[in-house]
Amino acid sequence: MAQPPVIRVPRPARSSYQPHRPLSKNTLLQNQVKHFRELERRLPPGHQTGLDFDSITTEGQAAEYIRRMTTRLHQPPGKA
Amino acid sequence: MSAGLDALKHVVVLMMENRSFDHMLGVLHAEDPRINGLTGNESNPDTTNEPVQVQPTAAFQGELDPDPDHHFPAVNKQLFFGTPGPPGVPSMQGFVQSYADQEHNVAHSHKIMYYFAAGKLPVLHALARNYAVFNGWFASIPGPTVCNRAFAHYGTSFGQASLNIFYVLEPYKSIYERMLAAGHTAKLYYFDPASSTQEVVNLLKNQPQIFATYPQFLEDCKSGNLPDYSFVEPNYSDHPGDDGGELLASDQHPDHDVQAGEVFIASIYNAIRQNPDLWKSTALLVTYDEHGGIYDHVPPPACTPDGFHAPLTDTGGIPFAFDRLGVRVPSILISPWIAKATVVPGPEDPVNGRAFEHASIPATITQHFIGAYDQRTVREKAAPTFLDLLTDTMRPEEDCPSFDFD
Repeated sequence: MAQPPVIRVPRPARSSYQPHRPLSKNTLLQNQVKHFRELERRLPPGHQTGLDFDSITTEGQAAEYIRRMTTRLHQPPGKA
Repeated sequence: MSAGLDALKHVVVLMMENRSFDHMLGVLHAEDPRINGLTGNESNPDTTNEPVQVQPTAAFQGELDPDPDHHFPAVNKQLFFGTPGPPGVPSMQGFVQSYADQEHNVAHSHKIMYYFAAGKLPVLHALARNYAVFNGWFASIPGPTVCNRAFAHYGTSFGQASLNIFYVLEPYKSIYERMLAAGHTAKLYYFDPASSTQEVVNLLKNQPQIFATYPQFLEDCKSGNLPDYSFVEPNYSDHPGDDGGELLASDQHPDHDVQAGEVFIASIYNAIRQNPDLWKSTALLVTYDEHGGIYDHVPPPACTPDGFHAPLTDTGGIPFAFDRLGVRVPSILISPWIAKATVVPGPEDPVNGRAFEHASIPATITQHFIGAYDQRTVREKAAPTFLDLLTDTMRPEEDCPSFDFD
């Protein structure tokens, strides 16, 4: 039986990984953080991260903040 | 109804980030003249008024830094440079000058005209060669991500033409709510909690039950539990994984590595392709939210307005009634029921051409799974749908490629 054609997909270079890339270089991520920040303001105090937003200056830091907020928003009520 | 449409149980939409049609697929015109890509002679003037031709020298990373401006005022310049502006026909002559506005570096501004050579994008190019590529799929708005992605979820952005938060207005529901209310299943798969979704306020806060992650998508494909409708978001940031590993952004947003996006697209395709029951009952649409400020040569056409007017603060004072589309983006529809090397005509064909946009997504899902449904924008109702591309003939296994990773 004939086999389907297989297309090789190269992996990106290891050097592509740049979590310390300045957040200012990506307006999309900057705005995603802003949206979560607005959402956080509406949460009860016990659900807020208490994070200083000015401390989020890199892509990796933005990802960590977004992770914390997403996790909180998907928790059942009452579990801060 | 075609046999392919009759067999269709699942639709999966993967929406990538910020690349134009010509940048990603323009080179394919040389091997298939039906594809409305680049001849190599297209140009834009730079700030010294010298013409800058397109070049097949696009790089995976490190080239489009800073992120090319793609907010409404910048896109307006990209589209209408040298003309009186809307409602006239876009000249598509302002991309280089718009990029030069950011750093005033003439040489660097030329890179906005670069496109990927044949062989550089084995995944996207293979999918375009093997399935259906759209010559006329446009961003919904000549603006940035959030408002464009909103059209894929709601068929409108509720008047928003920027990256700002927007709020859902009655009577319009997301396609996920519509599906659930009609007794169907729908999920929005984001990559992981650290990447999350771009639809933060309306979906994440109010509808957490519709969300799952990319690992769950892979598991659902494997176990045959994929919902009727799935929307997949790529990874939007470089960040550590739970196991301490390095997770590369896969969204292809400049300046993220385009190859990481290639791997991601291939992994989505393979997950469907490797489950025989799923493969024959699923259509996968790979599309991009908007052009990211990168050159494309096709003037975006007018469209049916959605009844909203953008705030002038979002548009640089330019009146905008959501009555014209954004820049063209790559879009490919994939299914074994699609004839190999299908090219869906766009505006270059005044008789058969169609102008698809992101409102075509909820329009298509609603039409196929729900049927008559009135509580949506006139814009969505007028948007062309795409499942007519499924034929009566299912292509054999050996005719449909698969991907393997180095």
